[in-house]
Amino acid sequence: MGITDIWTVFILRPMLNTLLGLYSVLGGQFWLAIIIFTIIVRILMTPLMLPQQRSAKKMQELQPRLQELQKKYAKDREKLAQEQMKLYREAGVNPMGGCLPLLIQFPIWIGLYQSIIQALGYQPLQLLGLSENIYSFPFLQTLWSEVPLNRYFLGMDLALTPQQLGGLTYALPILVAFTSWLQSKMTTPPGSDSQAASMNQSMMLMMPLMFGFFSLSFATGLSLYFIISNIIGIVTQGFISGWEGLLFWRGFSLSRLLSGGGRPSPQKEAKPTVEPAAMEKGAQSGSAKQRKKRRRKR
Amino acid sequence: MTQSRMIGAAISLLLFSVALTACGATPVAENWPGLTVAEGMVAAISGSPQQVYLLDAKTGVQKFAFKPQGEVRGTVYWSPVTVSGELAFVGFGTLQPRAANLYAFDPNTGQELWRVPANDLILPAPTYADGVVYFGDSSGRVYAVAVESRSVKPGWPFQAKEAIWASPLVVGGRVYVSSMDHRLYCLDADTGEKLWETELGGAIAAQPTLDAARGVLYVGAFNGQVYAIRADSGEIVEGFQFKANGWIWSEVLVAEDRLYVTSLNGKLYALDPSSGAVLSPYPYDSGEIDGRKDSIRAAPIKAGELVIVATKSGRVIAVKEGQRQWYWPSGTPQASILTTPVLYEGTVYVILMNGNVQTLNAETGVPGWGFSPPGR
Repeated sequence: MGITDIWTVFILRPMLNTLLGLYSVLGGQFWLAIIIFTIIVRILMTPLMLPQQRSAKKMQELQPRLQELQKKYAKDREKLAQEQMKLYREAGVNPMGGCLPLLIQFPIWIGLYQSIIQALGYQPLQLLGLSENIYSFPFLQTLWSEVPLNRYFLGMDLALTPQQLGGLTYALPILVAFTSWLQSKMTTPPGSDSQAASMNQSMMLMMPLMFGFFSLSFATGLSLYFIISNIIGIVTQGFISGWEGLLFWRGFSLSRLLSGGGRPSPQKEAKPTVEPAAMEKGAQSGSAKQRKKRRRKR
Repeated sequence: MTQSRMIGAAISLLLFSVALTACGATPVAENWPGLTVAEGMVAAISGSPQQVYLLDAKTGVQKFAFKPQGEVRGTVYWSPVTVSGELAFVGFGTLQPRAANLYAFDPNTGQELWRVPANDLILPAPTYADGVVYFGDSSGRVYAVAVESRSVKPGWPFQAKEAIWASPLVVGGRVYVSSMDHRLYCLDADTGEKLWETELGGAIAAQPTLDAARGVLYVGAFNGQVYAIRADSGEIVEGFQFKANGWIWSEVLVAEDRLYVTSLNGKLYALDPSSGAVLSPYPYDSGEIDGRKDSIRAAPIKAGELVIVATKSGRVIAVKEGQRQWYWPSGTPQASILTTPVLYEGTVYVILMNGNVQTLNAETGVPGWGFSPPGR
């Protein structure tokens, strides 16, 4: 069994058949099947995503102290690195902690993408491919009768691209880019130095733009999936680290965004939002509410 | 651009290229080649390059080619060619822009004569009968174009609920149309009026086959079942029942008081036409040659006592009473075969997914001439 077969048997087929099963149960509404399926996958992936989201939150909380260290050891990079690692250890944060869950999630997203594209097949070769991946167990053969799927949502063919459909469907790539940007804004920790901050800012802008751009030439069903998935991500992150990220218009500067200036102004940079002592205590349990209280107190 | 921004952009690009590479298993939106052999001529059409090659059926020498006039860009979809005397018909269309036409051309010169626009892609071969060309498109419309006036007849097109992927069957003033909306329609060939429709349990991508002696239409569906339907009323014949363990995409072959049908599970079945019972020693499993699962999209054809099938793995197999008689090629197949082979004057004509045409002796399977589209 090659890698492709392993992928097909363990990732693609289970996902595809679940999607088709949902379609069958939900009265033949593919858009609804995509939404429910995305929610189910996100719920199943919660144990994988929580460490990443918690890590993002902790990194945010550590920022003031990291900035202090940066100032203090501006001329000694080696010492700075040592102190940063010490701080991470003390706070119980693994700076790379968010990466592994992200890597594990990656194949799941690709499988999800493939199963949606396969299920939306509407040309002979696409359906032939679909036939090879629908289970042939006797008790699941009822799924065969669902083909071809009802691809329409609000009069829009989910198998076609915005470029093919035109009109209001061009709003979908914009929504994809916007929700994607909002999600990365809530999950991306600000960098501890200017270079990291600038890189984060670039990623935060580039990735949503790319998602939006690719959504132009992807089936609109996939845009629907991206939007739902991003909204779930935003809501989950909101519960974990507060909802401030949603107030994106506060302090928003288009020129700063376009110039890649993720770096905060010097005044802001010098002003820690959480007192180090309070942060140390609250690093593990600080909620958005508590942080607000602390700010008010100050 | 600062160095850090460049790194960010590079990482983003890398992530996306990885994602797109992994997503490369997405099916390519094209259809399989078309093959027609009639009046001493082979009309082969495939995606590489996208044009109809008109070959001498005896020698395989290219005589002419047909390509729609004007620039065609992007992925092209086509139908197999239908040849009738001095006229040949073929559907050509593109996804972007979404445009399709039925083209009439001279098979003796490859010259385009006229065209009629359709609403969507035309994938099944047009059917010609009594001065009228009938064809279906992917939006579910069925057209009847009068050749003399070169226009759609009054009362047409007929609108089905889903795409039409099978050629209409025109018999006795009636047009039988299979649709992906799970229904079989019977239309008046002259007026386009619907005479009856019968809902079956799965999408139908194959033309129904009429057993004139019984007055019964046989058609297979994606739910794996073969249905027997009364041609006059559209009623499903009670007592006929057959279900394969795979989708049925091909036409049913009626021969010598038997039905032959292939399934995507790689099997060839012989059925009793009254009950649908599988006749022993069938089914024949095409996977037995390579010892692994195969698939059959193409319909079976009859050559004397042999039933010939072509498989997705790229083999042509002749079967007699459930036993393999010969197969081609003996080595590794070049490419998949999804198009139904054609039997013409003792020779089996096969077109592969790569556009190559191969002839085989129907009795022995010995290869004759082969043709590769030039410039591919």
